[in-house]
Amino acid sequence: MSTSTDAIRISNLVKQYGVVAAVENLSLSVRAGTIFGFLGPNGSGKSTTIGCLTGLLDPTSGQIEILGERFTADNASLKRRMGVMPENLGLFEPLYAHEFLAFIARMFGLDEATTRTRVTELLAALELTDTSKTLSEYSTGMRKRVAFAAAVIHSPEVLFLDEPFESIDPAGVALIKQWLRRFAGQGRTVFITTHVLDTVERLCQDVAIITKPGRLVWSGDITMLGRDGAIEFDGQSFHALEALFLHLTGERYADLNWL
Amino acid sequence: MNWTTIGNLIGLRYKLMWAKTRTRNGKIALFVTGYLLLVLMLVILGAGGIGGGVLAVRSGKAGVVARAVLSGLYVQATLGTLMLGFGMNAIFSDTELRRYPLSARERRFTRHFIGIVDPFWALVFALEFGLLFGLLVFGAASVWLGLPAILLLLVSNYLLARALGLLVDRLAQSQAGATVLMAAVILISTTPGLAAQSLQHNPRMFDTLLAILRFTPPFGAADAMTKFGADGFYGLLIVIGWVLLFSLALWALEQRPTERRTAETTAIHWDSRYDRFGALFGARNAPLVAYWLRFYTRNTRFRTMYMLTLPLAAFLTFNFARSGGAKAGGYFVAALGTFPILTYLGTARFAVNQFGYSGGAFRRYFLLPVAAGDCLRTGSYASLLLGAAMLPVGLIAWAALVPEPYDARSLAMLLASGLTGLFIFHGLGLWSSLFGARRGNYTSAIGNDLSLFGNIVLLGCVLTGLFLPQLLHNRAPDLPTPANWWVMALVALAALVFYIFSLRAASAVLFSRREQLMALVEGRA
Repeated sequence: MSTSTDAIRISNLVKQYGVVAAVENLSLSVRAGTIFGFLGPNGSGKSTTIGCLTGLLDPTSGQIEILGERFTADNASLKRRMGVMPENLGLFEPLYAHEFLAFIARMFGLDEATTRTRVTELLAALELTDTSKTLSEYSTGMRKRVAFAAAVIHSPEVLFLDEPFESIDPAGVALIKQWLRRFAGQGRTVFITTHVLDTVERLCQDVAIITKPGRLVWSGDITMLGRDGAIEFDGQSFHALEALFLHLTGERYADLNWL
Repeated sequence: MNWTTIGNLIGLRYKLMWAKTRTRNGKIALFVTGYLLLVLMLVILGAGGIGGGVLAVRSGKAGVVARAVLSGLYVQATLGTLMLGFGMNAIFSDTELRRYPLSARERRFTRHFIGIVDPFWALVFALEFGLLFGLLVFGAASVWLGLPAILLLLVSNYLLARALGLLVDRLAQSQAGATVLMAAVILISTTPGLAAQSLQHNPRMFDTLLAILRFTPPFGAADAMTKFGADGFYGLLIVIGWVLLFSLALWALEQRPTERRTAETTAIHWDSRYDRFGALFGARNAPLVAYWLRFYTRNTRFRTMYMLTLPLAAFLTFNFARSGGAKAGGYFVAALGTFPILTYLGTARFAVNQFGYSGGAFRRYFLLPVAAGDCLRTGSYASLLLGAAMLPVGLIAWAALVPEPYDARSLAMLLASGLTGLFIFHGLGLWSSLFGARRGNYTSAIGNDLSLFGNIVLLGCVLTGLFLPQLLHNRAPDLPTPANWWVMALVALAALVFYIFSLRAASAVLFSRREQLMALVEGRA
């Protein structure tokens, strides 16, 4: 179901690699001003879907609408309103953090004064003050922080974050969560994939769960979980997102005697 | 030695190699390489080896021929590995091998065993074996000493190349490394000419030189191959001695960790020369050009190669002029071929495989709010800018150093020749970046990680540059002369048109090929 306040609308999205389907007839919508959790097991097509939503991949068929505009991979004006933190971060490793962030800011049309102010503030806030190292010399957590900073530096209206919290220390995660809440509170939208279900439960308002190959199995509001409520599905009550996720994606238990 | 694990790892190296042939490009590369190797082997064994043997036996100078052939191969193989990176690819680094239950000695053995069975070294061995085979057929060699001698010669050649490669790598990492390397190249490039002159003036020096060369690995192997009894055995001992010495040198170098340079300041500098140069290309392209300039100039291998380009070009000019008998205008004809090389040798590795060293950052280009082609174009502009910067330096060096009368037309013709090479190479580089992309290691200091397409473009341009002016000079001596400078200017204009056409067409192709390229450069294909 979609409304006029939807920031993202996906209709019958299909992505195939030869005869292999990575995303199968996916349709969903994301309300503006919310943090949307996009969940699924490994290899279920989450990153492929984000790839199609951000122009990295060409969908085989289907339609994508972002901020009320039809999205295609070469739609530069719409890309300017989006921020993306890709799965593998996509950092230009020979650069220093401030150079990389300034590059992104300039590419997204920020003027020089704003660029310098925002780069300095982001580096300080994310504790990336060691400017003697290039990005190739940063730790995984620091690289993740830089990629996050690059996604938000131009104050996008829609933010796509692929696994943003992995490898970041608890203080960094808390800071990013705080920013994302404020970001959504300003009417902007966050589309997030992660395997940390506790975080999703505390952070997201709406969630979609997909299984292989990119097939939507459940989507809806999860805010009742934060108020000690439950999600009713298949005649069962689920008090935690993890229970629902395992129910939908299939619990796996293999007894390895030697382990 | 844990032979089972070592065997598994060696097997894995070939499985990985075989896996690459499953792709379409891999199949083409396999076919072409296999075909070339077969033809080469037949030529080497049939003509080269037996031919060498016939020459050696008929002239009654088997030892001299063997020494000359083996020395030539030895030097060529060493230079081939250092200059072009053949046979120097590290399949497994020591860090990667640490994942397996192997001791330091076993890891070293595994790395170097895999290194020495590289196809390049197999080719060198085939060339050396060809000579032995030829000599054996005519009974001028001993198989019992000859075969171990060429095997050990190959090992010593490999160890020397590896040790020199590591030394170059360490030098390139140091502050004064590029200067030291440049001095070394100048020394190496001028020594043969100076030595030849000295020998002409003082023929007795030749005997002294031969007496010294007797103790080198190729001379030792040649003696083991062609002499019988104690002399042959003594030759073999010389090669064994060098193998031990080079092993020790390599071991010592590998024990020394690479020094990492750290910046002394942590302050952010906003005023950057990269951004100033980038601004020359307009506001839209400025950040991308500045990025690409950083990408090039922060690479140690690029910096070293860039510094070495001028002395290398001077060396080639000098040698080609001399090989042509230093006839009238010989330097000029040679320079017509080396000026184009001057403009792209430094940037060549990145220019023909522009996205191959980006890894996961490749996808970033498609998240930017610009046309994908802009990223390709700006990368090419940066390479063009760096390559073109060598032209004035080359022209000044030509005017100041070359012993030919000053003629403004010759400068114009050399400039046009350089520009022709610059535009043609970069035009081809765009296509190679799209259709011959290969995942490479940005930080590797040595090794040839280009695709077959990339190698064809690079070597094709270098060889065409070197031999086409010579060919023209032989067939139509009046053509490559300063009087025809305007013809070269027209050729440069045509090259510019080709480059502009390639820029436009390749930019359009990039967008449609992005998914295949992404899989390639991220190592998924």
